[in-house]
Amino acid sequence: MGIVLELKNVSKNYGKVIAADNINIEVDQTEFFSLLGPSGSGKTTMLRIIAGLEEPNEGSQVIINGKDVTHAPPYQRGIGMVFQDFLLFPHKTVAENILFPLKMQGASQKEKDENLKWITHLTQLEGLENRYPYQLSGGQKQRVALARGLVSKPSLLLLDEPLANLDLELRKKMEIEIRRFQIELGIPFIYVTHNQQEALTMSDSIAIMNYGKMEQVGEKFSLYHDPDSQFVASFLGSADSIEAEVASVQDGIATMTFHGKTIQARAHNGLKAGDQAICYIKSERIRMEVEENPDAPCGVVLDKIFKGQYIDYILDIEEGNEIIASSGTLSQIKAKDRISISWDPQVADAFPLPPKDPS
Amino acid sequence: MKSTLGKRLQLGTLILLYIFLYAPIVYIVYVSFQTNGVWPFPPDFTLEHYASLWHDEIYREGLKNSLIIGIGTAALASLLATMATIAILKYHVKGRMIMTGLFLSPLFIAHVIIGISSLMFNKNVLGLSGNIGSTILANATYATAFAFLVVLAQLARYDWRLDDAAMVFGATPKVVFKEITFPLIWSAIFGAFVVSFLLAFNNLEISFYNLGATPTLPTLAWGSLRHGVSQELYALAALINLVVFVFFGVLYAMLKSGLLKLDYKEA
Ligand SMILES: Nc1ncnc2c1ncn2[C@@H]1O[C@H](COP(=O)(O)OP(=O)(O)O)[C@@H](O)[C@H]1O
Ligand SMILES: [Mg+2]
Repeated sequence: MGIVLELKNVSKNYGKVIAADNINIEVDQTEFFSLLGPSGSGKTTMLRIIAGLEEPNEGSQVIINGKDVTHAPPYQRGIGMVFQDFLLFPHKTVAENILFPLKMQGASQKEKDENLKWITHLTQLEGLENRYPYQLSGGQKQRVALARGLVSKPSLLLLDEPLANLDLELRKKMEIEIRRFQIELGIPFIYVTHNQQEALTMSDSIAIMNYGKMEQVGEKFSLYHDPDSQFVASFLGSADSIEAEVASVQDGIATMTFHGKTIQARAHNGLKAGDQAICYIKSERIRMEVEENPDAPCGVVLDKIFKGQYIDYILDIEEGNEIIASSGTLSQIKAKDRISISWDPQVADAFPLPPKDPS
Repeated sequence: MKSTLGKRLQLGTLILLYIFLYAPIVYIVYVSFQTNGVWPFPPDFTLEHYASLWHDEIYREGLKNSLIIGIGTAALASLLATMATIAILKYHVKGRMIMTGLFLSPLFIAHVIIGISSLMFNKNVLGLSGNIGSTILANATYATAFAFLVVLAQLARYDWRLDDAAMVFGATPKVVFKEITFPLIWSAIFGAFVVSFLLAFNNLEISFYNLGATPTLPTLAWGSLRHGVSQELYALAALINLVVFVFFGVLYAMLKSGLLKLDYKEA
């Protein structure tokens, strides 16, 4: 499969703010690629650079279908885009909005008619063609924005938090639909979101962004289970953190002391004996046992929160370390129970903790 | 009880306000149909002023000049004001605060001074006497400032990301303006056009210094004061009012029928 989009050494400064810091990615013909990161991490900037709405720093390269378009204006890139606030043209009808990209290409009336029929069917907008944007519901506007992005069968579709303004129920539905469109059209989608659930549900690959840097790029399963950086380990899933002192590191596994108990995790970033470490464990990976095991971290159940598909236990471990453990709904453990916890060393990740400020 | 009293007071105030606004106009229209312009009571209706207005070259000349000055100034001022606003609001040019201040400061210069200085510039630097061109340019100085104020206030609400969106979908900057920006902001530009047209159309001081004997409606009115206001002037003023009313009436009908759209609800 061919590479459709390639970013090489892409950087962008706004004065002192580094919105993109030496980004390198490749996106494949059939890939659903998510840019995931907290607000302000540079996701929108990245899309705007790809679209040509923002000029990257000297030395950056944007390549689409093998062509260097770094300095090409947006209207020569043949990209589709779905904007966060929809940005439908308020003076144009649904049909005029959707057909705008084809009109710009000088498509024939027949071509426009056919494509309108096809895309309104795909996005379930039939019958709304003559409405104005203000006469549409949030979900309908979203579909129009999608239809407009897809109608010209672009080589690449960029989506900037397209579901952020929709309510949860609609969002769940659209997540599945958007993924279906991507498969149906066979073009890569670059999907920006700060919602990891969304990214995990839809994507093939995810890039985690933080302060303009791409912390880690990869297939979503490996990203979730094999984080490379402290940020990724703490950001993905609901991760608990524990601070401990490293006793030894062997075969990539660090053995640490935590309140006199021994715990283990994969060692990262050159963690070595004597270091202070921070250790991340996904909450669904924590096992609880009601018998107190003298060798394992122990504590008490503060609260038990029924979430529907699972239960969150709020634990106080070794007095003063609040940890959340998720468990199946059949678990018999109750609030106030004393428990001990454990996990597989292969599912926990330890990073060196920077020396504490004396202040 | 109280609420009906309140309502009556409101209605009364409204009626007084309209009387205040329209009494001079109504009076002028009335006088334009009277034989005696100085003391037109009891009424003695006649159309002779309209007839002599029609035959008098000088008024036609004055109207023509005023229209040229008004339209020329309005076109120039609204064009410049729109370009300046787009630079400031869309492209966030450097120094936009200072630019805004500099665009607005001509508002504070007396028109007499603009008139005299543009005349001197014409004569001393260009070696020309005052003419319609220089009158338009001189009027455009402060009219641009007014137009800028009107356009800026309206366009502060415009979402320039719509232009970005259009560009991504293949529109060149020119096409973006034609397809997206202009249809959404034309009412602001039109407002600026009307305001600057009226300012220039009615301006006396600048025309007075720049045009000398070439008549415009305000200079004719001013000149005729010396030998008593001629009643053709009343007739002319009445006709201009009629044109204005018809113009806004047509505009209103077009907006009502949806033939023309002034504003779009947020998408
Ligand atoms: N036009 C701009 N001028 C100055 N700073 C900007 C501009 N656009 C974005 N930034 C800054 O760049 C950083 C990344 O912004 P953005 O790409 O919008 O992040 P995200 O989409 O991930 O929330 C932020 O710190 C933001 O304040
Ligand atoms: Mg953003």
